[in-house]
Amino acid sequence: MADRELTFEIFRYNPAKPEIKPRMQTYKLKETTGMTIFVALNMIREEQDPSLMFDFVCRAAICGSCAMIINGRPRLACKTLTSTLPRTIKLFPLPVFKLIGDLSVDTGTWFRHLSIRTESWVHTSKTFDPTKEEERMDNKIALEIYEAERCIECGCCIAGCATANIRDEFLGAAGINRVARFMVDPRDERTPEEYFEVVGSEEGAFGCMGLMACDDNCPMELPLQMQLAFVRRKIASIGLGIKQEKKIKMGIG
Amino acid sequence: MLQRTLSKSNKTDLYLDLVELASGLILVGFLWTHMLFVATILISPETFNSLSEFLDTYYLSYIGIPFVVVVALMHFVIAGRRIPTRMQEQRIIWQHAKMLRHTDTWTWVFQAITGMAILVLASIHVWLVVTGWPIRDFTSAQRMEAFWWFYLVLLLVGEYHAGFGIYRQFVKWGWFPRKPISYVSKAITAVILVLGLAAMVVFVQLGGTL
Repeated sequence: MADRELTFEIFRYNPAKPEIKPRMQTYKLKETTGMTIFVALNMIREEQDPSLMFDFVCRAAICGSCAMIINGRPRLACKTLTSTLPRTIKLFPLPVFKLIGDLSVDTGTWFRHLSIRTESWVHTSKTFDPTKEEERMDNKIALEIYEAERCIECGCCIAGCATANIRDEFLGAAGINRVARFMVDPRDERTPEEYFEVVGSEEGAFGCMGLMACDDNCPMELPLQMQLAFVRRKIASIGLGIKQEKKIKMGIG
Repeated sequence: MLQRTLSKSNKTDLYLDLVELASGLILVGFLWTHMLFVATILISPETFNSLSEFLDTYYLSYIGIPFVVVVALMHFVIAGRRIPTRMQEQRIIWQHAKMLRHTDTWTWVFQAITGMAILVLASIHVWLVVTGWPIRDFTSAQRMEAFWWFYLVLLLVGEYHAGFGIYRQFVKWGWFPRKPISYVSKAITAVILVLGLAAMVVFVQLGGTL
């Protein structure tokens, strides 16, 4: 595998230079052992085309900034080995998000908007006392929160979701997963009815059509199908007036 | 934004989702039962006729058919709200499915298409049945001999839509893990298809001997 010559067909467009129309540009590169798309893109930029735009920070599938469409599927460039792909590799930027240039998109604005809409902070009436010992949490609940918190906000689930591609207001799997995270947190004092307000609509839990491309394309392998279904069932029972415990408990994992 | 906020009813989306679920489950239940009833022709024409007469005697056909028609129309309107109506949105969905090469996305696209096809074909089917009332082996055989190609298409699109529809609802509501429910719905669909095709063959043969 390592002696292959790879052909990269990369989407090129810079919104700051609209006079140059969007196009595909071809680059050739010799494959090396253990090469990832991220490594290949850096080599292309260093050796062939310094104008090529793409994002990266951590190189270790933690920051989520190098997500892009790799041969049709949303993937992290740093986690995708070229050896798993055919000789010709097509790269596009993630859809849905604002294009910065070439393969670089702005996921930050979208996720910030999501955080505001879902009010992604612990709603509590308690006053924080920095001198007091931190409140202890049941280990099982801590693990459930951690499971949802593993989302790195790369945007792969949003890019893979047909609904998110046509409906601007849809929260998508990342958003519903975020709501699930706070539903589980015992420190969050929001009532079930308040959660219904956040996610009980077509823009939230009831907008999901069950295509499951989010679950199948999540680079972190988050249990998104389970999270979406859990929130849908819970929110539906709140809407139907089925008596809820004050705090919503979730059975993840 | 103001209009959206003012017109928002906080429970509507929930009720629509529940009606979509309930109507879908009723229709899948009906379709599978219907195909089992049709398949009684494989036992004998007498069994088929006595079942049909039983349904008529107790007015089950007269209540059941209008009920199913109403539920089907309701399902079409409510589940159909998901289908993009604008040409640009349809193009996005089509390109998205082609790009992603993701099975569940493609099956949904074809579910939307088969849903439209069922609306037209099932309406014709109901019309043919009602105008040729009552349902007996010879009336069905005549219809099947003349329009076997029509019923072949209706059987395929109907079973496809029902099989993937019930799978998708189970996935959305998370009642079972994806893989097992996928195998179960595919297995039931395969059995129903085989029964339906076998019944068609028998009806076409019966039609030839009339």
